[in-house]
Amino acid sequence: MEHFIETIGRNMFAIFGVMALGGAAVVVASRSAVHSVLAFLFAMLCIAGCFLSLEAEFLGMAQILVYAGGIVVLFLFVVMLVEVSKAKEKEVFQLQSRYAIGAVLLGVAAFSAVFRKVIFGAASPQALKLSDNLAQGLDVAKQNAQAVSRGLFAGYLLPFEILSVVLLVALVGAVVLAKTERV
Amino acid sequence: MPTPTLLQSIAITLIQCVLVVIFVFVVVPLTVFAERKVLGHLQQRLGSTRVASGHIGVTGWMNRGMWKWGRIPVLSYWRGIPGLVADVLKLILKEDIIPAKADKFVFFIAPAISMVSAVVVFAAISFVPGTFFIFPSWFPGLAGLPVSGGIADINVGLLWILGVASVGVYGIVLAGWASNSKYPLLGGLRSAAQMVSYEVPLAISLLAPVVLTGSLNFSEMAQRMATGTSAWGLVPQVFGFLIYLTCGFAETNRLPFDMPEAENELVAGFHTEYSGMKFGFFYLAEYINMTVVSALAAGFFLGGSWLLPFGLQGLVNKLLPAGAWIAGPHAIFFVAKIIFLLFTYIWVRGTIPRYRYDQVMSVAWKYLIPLALVNLLLAAFVRCAV
Repeated sequence: MEHFIETIGRNMFAIFGVMALGGAAVVVASRSAVHSVLAFLFAMLCIAGCFLSLEAEFLGMAQILVYAGGIVVLFLFVVMLVEVSKAKEKEVFQLQSRYAIGAVLLGVAAFSAVFRKVIFGAASPQALKLSDNLAQGLDVAKQNAQAVSRGLFAGYLLPFEILSVVLLVALVGAVVLAKTERV
Repeated sequence: MPTPTLLQSIAITLIQCVLVVIFVFVVVPLTVFAERKVLGHLQQRLGSTRVASGHIGVTGWMNRGMWKWGRIPVLSYWRGIPGLVADVLKLILKEDIIPAKADKFVFFIAPAISMVSAVVVFAAISFVPGTFFIFPSWFPGLAGLPVSGGIADINVGLLWILGVASVGVYGIVLAGWASNSKYPLLGGLRSAAQMVSYEVPLAISLLAPVVLTGSLNFSEMAQRMATGTSAWGLVPQVFGFLIYLTCGFAETNRLPFDMPEAENELVAGFHTEYSGMKFGFFYLAEYINMTVVSALAAGFFLGGSWLLPFGLQGLVNKLLPAGAWIAGPHAIFFVAKIIFLLFTYIWVRGTIPRYRYDQVMSVAWKYLIPLALVNLLLAAFVRCAV
């Protein structure tokens, strides 16, 4: 019994990973857009579970907060507002299925090309960690949030701020696109 | 103190879960009952009095006696309690209708999402810091092991609470959509907009305690907010509390912000098509969410399991002798604060008229968010300067 539970605990990442992949498959395969959004929510929660099983609690919670709590709600909002009749929905989905398969194959190829070494190569001798001067006086395993914030706001401040500008561009673009001629 | 093995710690966690569920299922029916009674007394009437042994037996005799003396009978405050049993029985036994054109799966899963996301929040709430009780020596298998005051006192507890609570909005939105009918859809859409809007000032108002304490762990934050803040910390705490409570009312869809239900406009809003225990789940989830919001307000602003609110305990503790009973944390204080805040919910419901929908949204975006940001600045100033 104890051994069994420990085995499950050790393989939590794999379990959540497989569940997330299953959810992602349903997103693609589902006939109804709302079901797709639900499956997407499930996949996002499973990814949060993956983070948790890697003891990255802050990232896991941020995943739930940002994706499950914010972004997917907006997806759902849009899907509910844009009412597509069943027949038309089916047609649109089937039109795209061959492109979807192509995109998936391309994604798998790109992913395996980039991460080939990570997946099949030898394990790194030491775990990824914060640089020494940033990690000073910090128990990274216990103080996740502090470690992430030091990385973001001390180590990689400029890229982080540039990313936020990119998000702003997307926001302004959406407003411009949505605005009608009225002005 | 012995360290528990894996199986023992799992057993302890399960026992904690059962305790929390018992707590919830005691508090929720009593809140429902209190709502009827308190609303009644706020409106100069007695509330629900029909189902009771008020006319026969000892209680009936006492009640009649008190009426004769020309007073409101004290025992009549408890009349109507048997009606709760009837309510629960009705919810369980009523026919469970699924509309013909509804999306069966989503219709089924929406109440479950509401309920689960409401209950799971309790995982990160600790009722008392440290050990709650120790198993007595006669307890089979777990003798002498300590039970902590919270199920999982994780170091990102606040984020867990906010994250899981924000999943609750799916229950309402999906229920509105899956019913495949006009009023539920309108209620669902409204509530999506309302809850997403109010989550922003809610989260910002909770950031003030984070800034003041420098932690995200629930029990640590509660402790530092109650005993560790300086006198200057009072101001942002009081403002933050008021902002948080307002947003909490909106998040739980209670009056005066009950847009998703809006009895006068939308029949019953998102749960118009629901009946039986599926409706019961929404009902339960609403009251559990109220308890959760109250627990957070009690923990972060009202001093948690310490007696005095707004960090006053830390100032008073300097005057008290060390180790005094009243200076320490006790679960009873925490529960008492939760119950007081639940009463406040009913109090506000009976006092303040409800808003129009555009007013609800403008309160959130034009007033609460700027106020919450100013409060956050204030807290940061207090943290840096004092």
